[in-house]
Amino acid sequence: MNHEGPSLERLLRRLAETPDDFLTEPHTTSGKGIIHVAAVARDMLALHGIAAADLSTLDPDDSSSARRRAGVSLLLCWLLADSQLIAGKIQAPALVQLLIQGASELASQNGAARYREDFERREELVRFALARLDLRPSGESVAQAQDRLTALSSLERNRVLAASREAEARSRAIREALARKAAQESADKYTRE
Amino acid sequence: MKPIESTDDDRYPLLGEAGRRMLDFLREHLNAPIFRNQSGNRLDASDLAYVRREEAAVLTADTGWPCNGYPEWLDDFVAHCQKDVPYYRNHPFSTRFEALPTFSRADLSRDIAAFVPDPVSLERLINFQTTGTTGHPLVIASHPRVAAGYLAYHKRALRRFGVTLTAGRGDVGVVLIGFQQNCFTYISVTPSMDEAGLAKINLHPADWHDPADRARYLAALAPEVIAGDPLSFTELLAIAPELRPKALLSTSMTLLPGLRDTLSATFACPVLDLYSLNEAGPVAVFDPILDGHVLLQPKMFVEILDPAGNPVPTGERGEITLTGGFNFCLPLLRYRTGDFASLDFVRGEPLLRSLEGRACVRFRRPDGVWLNNIDVTHSLRPFPLARFSLHQRADSVFEFSVEGPAHALHDANNALARLLGPQAQIEPTPFPSNSSAKNLQYSSALPGPDS
Repeated sequence: MNHEGPSLERLLRRLAETPDDFLTEPHTTSGKGIIHVAAVARDMLALHGIAAADLSTLDPDDSSSARRRAGVSLLLCWLLADSQLIAGKIQAPALVQLLIQGASELASQNGAARYREDFERREELVRFALARLDLRPSGESVAQAQDRLTALSSLERNRVLAASREAEARSRAIREALARKAAQESADKYTRE
Repeated sequence: MKPIESTDDDRYPLLGEAGRRMLDFLREHLNAPIFRNQSGNRLDASDLAYVRREEAAVLTADTGWPCNGYPEWLDDFVAHCQKDVPYYRNHPFSTRFEALPTFSRADLSRDIAAFVPDPVSLERLINFQTTGTTGHPLVIASHPRVAAGYLAYHKRALRRFGVTLTAGRGDVGVVLIGFQQNCFTYISVTPSMDEAGLAKINLHPADWHDPADRARYLAALAPEVIAGDPLSFTELLAIAPELRPKALLSTSMTLLPGLRDTLSATFACPVLDLYSLNEAGPVAVFDPILDGHVLLQPKMFVEILDPAGNPVPTGERGEITLTGGFNFCLPLLRYRTGDFASLDFVRGEPLLRSLEGRACVRFRRPDGVWLNNIDVTHSLRPFPLARFSLHQRADSVFEFSVEGPAHALHDANNALARLLGPQAQIEPTPFPSNSSAKNLQYSSALPGPDS
């Protein structure tokens, strides 16, 4: 969230106005469904000036969870094609990661239609996507953006909790390592302060 | 995770026959002191290769940055800190370096773990403990490669004085001397110098079977370099003036010019006054020709800040604030040292002028015995104190300020009373509100307490 992105209102409006085509059933690896997610993603990335390599993992198999994830990927493709986001020169790895991992996390909570129709879920998706791109809505401080995202998103709350637990464990491990007798013996220096 | 207890294999992984003989010589010499601790270089083959590479780089790289500018490496370093170091990750984002928050020893003391970068493996972490002079006890996270890295900066400093270290197999490279009631003492060898010997000894008579052994042992070792502080060098003057090292390295306390000149004349060698911190290693060395401390670390950026944390104009006095360093376990991003100087540029090279380091203070017990501040520090070391300070008034009464858990306060007061003697009057004294500066930890109004 270190950089300012477009305004929240702009992206909420864009998401609310997502064309129905982007909510069409994704084409699966067995040939069911209609819209090819990988192809749409490739077009979106091209708008960002990114020549994507292999995006085939975006095309789902027939399982409901994979199709739900692919639906959210499609919705994100529409959002990420916003001209101000394109002008922001976002790096390819962050975009691809959002389309795959981010979409998977979002889809574990809701389907694409709910993210478009429900106001709070719409805001959750926009803020979630911006955060994964190290962006925050314009006019907001990092703290404001983080607080609002945490309030809206159980995914973010879980992520913050997990990160906090991980940080505590690392901190404890460092203190234990420094307290070892071997660490206290230290090592040679030519001078001591 | 390695076993809790160290073995000699851990302490000297590369020990060869020459190194073994050197350790035997240092330990078993007829006049050897009582070595109270153990340590070692802890370097394996890959560490040694790393240390040699770094040394070559340190000896050839330039230090400094353009006047009113920044070093080229700074942006990458800041990005590394903000990505990998928990403490800096919480900083508000800013593209302006001067807008980044500063921090001090108190922050390190509060949670050293937050300063260790995420990618650093904990397997071989070591620590350097210091109570320093700020009243904030500190454990510094470090690594054998970092400890061994000091030598490169010393070589760089010595080169300025025309001294090249050549000690090797069968020689003693350095003796580190202390003069304290309690002192961490041990022997080792230096792999990057073909297992030249290293001994850290305490000149206090309590560490010797016979005080006269001190001069005999030092003469037998004939170290290429002797490292110490003004207190221990003063003692060395009295007991072994015939020694002829290539140089003396003085750290830890202010080295007054009078003592420096006496030492240099007596031992017939240059005396290097190093500005060195546990938190950052050797930062600078005093150059008498330039009348200032020249910087030693190619990847260390120095700012001089006012009390509000704003950079002062070049040439104005303020707090030395460090960014960078070679301790990869503790990258410093705007670290306020508590030391003061002004920054000058001479032929494009940054120079610290009128550096005011940590002052040494001695205290007089009612029975007339003088103690130095390090003895006070040692007596209080076992206790988990948040901070403490000691002042001796002109009427000899001690004012003791201390903060910490209740049980520790009780124990600390008892330990101090034992050190100062049964007749000493010790008054509990709250910290003044402006007691963050280093030189406030120890002070005395008695005549002649400073050495």
